Amino acid sequence: MSKTFLYLYTRSQLKLKYRHTYLGFLWNLLEPASYLIVLSIVFAVVNRMNIRNYAVYLFGALVAWRYFERTVGLMMESIVGGDWLLKKMPVSPFVFPLSRWLIASVEFLFAFAVVLGLFLVLKQDWTIHLVVLPLAMIPWAVLGLGTGMICAVVFVFFRDIRQVVQMLLMFVFFTSPILFEADLFKEHSLQAALLRLHPVTYFAALFQKPLYYAVWPGVADWAVSIGISGLSLLAGWLLLNRLKGRLYFYL
Amino acid sequence: MIFSIANVHVAFARNILAQRSLKSALAGLFTHTAAPRFLALNDVSLEIGESEHVGVIGRNGAGKSTLLRVLAGVIAPQEGTVFAASGKHIVPLLELGIGFHPDLSGRENCYLAGSLMGYSIRELDGRIPSIIRFSELEEFIDEPVKGYSSGMYARLAFALATDVEPEVLLVDEVFGVGDEFFMRKCIVRMQRLMKAGATTVFVSHNLDFLVAQCDRLIWLDRGRIVADGKPSEVAAEYRRAEGSHSIRHGSAGSAVRT
Repeated sequence: MSKTFLYLYTRSQLKLKYRHTYLGFLWNLLEPASYLIVLSIVFAVVNRMNIRNYAVYLFGALVAWRYFERTVGLMMESIVGGDWLLKKMPVSPFVFPLSRWLIASVEFLFAFAVVLGLFLVLKQDWTIHLVVLPLAMIPWAVLGLGTGMICAVVFVFFRDIRQVVQMLLMFVFFTSPILFEADLFKEHSLQAALLRLHPVTYFAALFQKPLYYAVWPGVADWAVSIGISGLSLLAGWLLLNRLKGRLYFYL
Repeated sequence: MIFSIANVHVAFARNILAQRSLKSALAGLFTHTAAPRFLALNDVSLEIGESEHVGVIGRNGAGKSTLLRVLAGVIAPQEGTVFAASGKHIVPLLELGIGFHPDLSGRENCYLAGSLMGYSIRELDGRIPSIIRFSELEEFIDEPVKGYSSGMYARLAFALATDVEPEVLLVDEVFGVGDEFFMRKCIVRMQRLMKAGATTVFVSHNLDFLVAQCDRLIWLDRGRIVADGKPSEVAAEYRRAEGSHSIRHGSAGSAVRT
């Protein structure tokens, strides 16, 4: 794969995106901030929680989830969107999802910086556990790359997959302890047992534990999130590698 | 050896638009209807050596462009093997140019395509000015290529493809576009590349051009190689066969009418 091409293509895509909109970049930062504020107020009222506390809880996993969701959404049409080149030049199809992933990740880092500022204002006591956050992003980033790659390949063959994926993501999101706290349920209840089987619980813990509970993420959190994200990347890579010869006929 | 392909089959599914959905895939599970296929290349084997100048002729739909795409590595055939010499700058100029992104400027597109041909950014920095000069597009080079006319588009593609000094050049019918003066410039440049030892494969309907420029001519018909040999002989055979073919059809038509 041509690294020079990946670099040039990603750079020109970024330029294209922000060429005419100076506000475009600002919007990128405003959007997650406003989303977070609205959600905190609404759910704090619904859950009868202290707004300040709830915002800190919500902040942790929600920002990471939004990054994941956005990556998958952006990557989904990346290979189909690369038809202008895939039909004319010998180019590795990997560059298209990879380039979208890079763009989403760069945007996420900026958005994260802004929301982190907001968070530091809200949270009263800062703890040493915050230093683990950069590491906590890695499983999320890998999960996004793997899932996005799978979606990008499947989308070439089934153009109506977007709705299905959106539905699945929504289901996963609302069943995971991102909006609500896991101790909402009694310890031996069925719901609590189901949550322990929910993979996103472990991904979310990577952010919630250092930010909200002021503890280090546990071994299980790291093991499950690294394992699942690694598997998704492997699956995406194998899938695209296996089907890359057939893409041309479906573009 | 630059290219060596053996027993290559390429088939396209027809009415593909209807099949690219989950819905129709699920429906297909129950009805077991196989998609109708069109065989664009049917058991084609071919070798092209260093510094050969090969022309490819044939009627529309004979598989010429598909063959060029297989050589370029854009299409992976469903059956058969393809070998292409590694480490060579292979430049494909397929139907009206190189893959250009419509929203990016001519200059950005030159860098993108150039990097895919195996050149570094620094090498391209040195070459881009002369590419722009040759294409005569100085005024428009920083505008998105979607605003270009088809002639401008082809000029930029041609300037880029020939300026980077390719070792292998694959050209699919680009002589129809651009004005006469630009075409003449192109042909001069192409001849210089060929003299310098570049391997070239041309697909064209311009038989006289192919006979004059190539030292080997391949005639394709319905995905098969009908003839492969000296340009003047293959061209004569092609003219005779296709000419009599269409005349026969014409007389049959008139016979029915009378």
